[in-house]
Amino acid sequence: MIKKCLSIVLAAIVIACSSSDDPAPDNNNGGTDPTDDGPIASFDRSAMLTNWADNIIVPAYEEFLATAEALQQQIDNFNVNTTEDNLNLLRDSWLTAYKSFQWVSMFEIGPAEDARFRARLNTYPADAATIDDFRTTGVYNFELPSNIDAQGFPAFDYMLFGLADTDAAILEFYTTDASASIAKIYLQDLATAMTGLAQQVLNEWNSGFATSFKANTDASANGSIDKLTNDYIFYYEKALRAGKIGIPAGVFSTDPLPGNVEAFYNQEVSRELVLEALQAAQNFFNGNGNGTGNGRGFKSYLDFLNTIKNGEDLSTLINDQFDLARTEIEELSNNFVSQIQSNNTAMLEAYDELQRNVILIKVDMLQALSIDVDFVDTDGD
Amino acid sequence: MKYTKLFLLATTAFFASCSDDDNTIPMTDDDQGTDPVIEAPLTYNFERDGATTVDFNGQTTRILMAEEIVDALLDFDNTTAESLLAKFNHEEGVANFEDTDLNASSKNLSSKTAASRDYFATNTAEAATIRATFEEYLERQVTDIFPGELEIASPGVAGQLADGSATRWVDGNGLEFNQLWTKGMIGALMTDQMLNNYLSVAVLDETDNRANNNEAVLAEGKNYTTMEHKWDEAYGYLFGTSQDTANPLATLGADDSFLNKYLGRVESDADFAGIAQEIYDAFKLGRAAIVGRDYELRDQQAAIIREAVSEIIAIRAVYYLQQGKNGIEAENYGTAFHDISEGWGFIYSLRFTRDTVNDAPYFTREEVDGMLTALMADGDNGLWDITPETLDAISAQIAAKFSFTIEQAGSTN
Repeated sequence: MIKKCLSIVLAAIVIACSSSDDPAPDNNNGGTDPTDDGPIASFDRSAMLTNWADNIIVPAYEEFLATAEALQQQIDNFNVNTTEDNLNLLRDSWLTAYKSFQWVSMFEIGPAEDARFRARLNTYPADAATIDDFRTTGVYNFELPSNIDAQGFPAFDYMLFGLADTDAAILEFYTTDASASIAKIYLQDLATAMTGLAQQVLNEWNSGFATSFKANTDASANGSIDKLTNDYIFYYEKALRAGKIGIPAGVFSTDPLPGNVEAFYNQEVSRELVLEALQAAQNFFNGNGNGTGNGRGFKSYLDFLNTIKNGEDLSTLINDQFDLARTEIEELSNNFVSQIQSNNTAMLEAYDELQRNVILIKVDMLQALSIDVDFVDTDGD
Repeated sequence: MKYTKLFLLATTAFFASCSDDDNTIPMTDDDQGTDPVIEAPLTYNFERDGATTVDFNGQTTRILMAEEIVDALLDFDNTTAESLLAKFNHEEGVANFEDTDLNASSKNLSSKTAASRDYFATNTAEAATIRATFEEYLERQVTDIFPGELEIASPGVAGQLADGSATRWVDGNGLEFNQLWTKGMIGALMTDQMLNNYLSVAVLDETDNRANNNEAVLAEGKNYTTMEHKWDEAYGYLFGTSQDTANPLATLGADDSFLNKYLGRVESDADFAGIAQEIYDAFKLGRAAIVGRDYELRDQQAAIIREAVSEIIAIRAVYYLQQGKNGIEAENYGTAFHDISEGWGFIYSLRFTRDTVNDAPYFTREEVDGMLTALMADGDNGLWDITPETLDAISAQIAAKFSFTIEQAGSTN
């Protein structure tokens, strides 16, 4: 029964998506071959990879590294002059770096994958009990997999906003508290680990990985396009759609989990962060970074292949769906905790709009690009 | 949009075909004989004189005991080798568990491990070896794994590895003993008791069970015949901790960490969808056949269950070996070692499966030991050195005895 229905569904998908047999027009997407006057033989995959690496990914890491270093400087400043003003400056630089992080988080490939970059910088909810232990004992090892939720942005979130209810009381943890000096060192170490990771990933991109990444134009599971596309979709599905909206809204649990929002202790910036991440994901789809890029990307690839779905360009459908999701999210409170508690339906509606693009990207786009999904839902055990 | 609609249609149709479980009128156990056609009730709900005749509290108890061991295996601060062994070999009244009902119980896990009538009644030497192996897994979790709680694992060195956002703790060979124990128990306890004990003719028809069942002679102080109860005990090892034990498929997979969980996993693979209903239906019809005194029909249902439950174990063994291969190839060692450790437990469990053609396990002790040895034999550091070829070879060896392919078992779609 299920199998039969599934095959009907699959057949329908194939029918709906198989209208790409027209010779592809030259729509200026990098597929032209100057020596050939006939129909374009193939999309210029190399040019797309070059745009991804040189114009989008490396600049995004450079920008992130700069914001992480600025955060580190604010910590040094705060640790010397531990005032409320400097706490607020430190918080501002944390948010700036956090937003910049949203532009690199999706590139979990090569050096970032090896370093477990995303897991180490943005696993939330933070483990407050473990952080309390670290900031009072000074004994910790950020390399340990079991410590991923006691470092990175969520740990800063707790240290800068969550230690107490008032700013004055938070400051005491860095001034009069018996562990104040250890707490300051912990802050410094958090920042050192963050800049270290950013520097390490950027260095590896610059010292060979970008070259091999761009050279690997294979249309196979080991090719750069297949791999980064999978990483992009995995990020969109798990980290953005589920992590930032779905999990706290209770899509995957019996009840909503407001404690699982991004930047839980700050409480005011969850929406800002997800909007930033959504813009980064959409820009990458369109072949652009944060003010960088030449447009060679998924959109131009799909347009080159003239991928039509239900009479519309698939790339237009995907962009429209990004916009719809953004509209839904913009209507949410900037405080997701109160949003979930007052009207979780709105969160679920935003999730639904994000989910619709999973189908367009993971099913329709991958089929058009002949890319297989290389990840499965893990058992969770 | 076309396929979205169809998808909706498909799911609607699926739900419609499964939502006829509102008829929960129980089968009355002394009604038999008048209707020549025995039919399974819609839910596992059997009554006599207005009271239920279904009871599998001993199975529920043992699953809950095993769950407490699963938790204790990673409780670095409170667990000792002694406390684990005491849970496994629990004695009535001893406070081994957090759940006081379990402490009061006279039952324990070890006495039912590798303890089926058909496989171990005259094979106590192997049974003792198997129990010793499970005790060794418990002990080595503490002696070999715990010292690496805050270390990073490397070849020859116990410690942590990342598996996505999860942390896995392995020994120097990359083995997770908690996984070996947990997945091994699925075979040595749940499967062995179900397939080779309670569904066994030797148990169902023991002494005068058949005569008593024919005359509705009840077990002393109970509302069931002994044969009815034996069948229910088989059922309890799969559905004993379900939220609604009479109608357990609604929450399938979420109700324990053992056979229920992995029937749920296999069911959610489109290649095998329907297997849960098949097993559930066979349990209901077999129980109805006992009420209706049709022992041939009963044994036909037992055979269906034996084949399907054996298949669950084989599918999951191949699944984890293949997932492990993917992890090894991607050099995601934490993920790979976790998968292969789970696979190890399912391979160990193969020895307790039941091939109804020859009434023997699909794989002998020697064959199972050969596969486990091979997992460790590609180099000096166990899983750190394992090759995709080894994982493929073992996968092929398992799949060859079943009707599924490596590809069908190796992915969840």
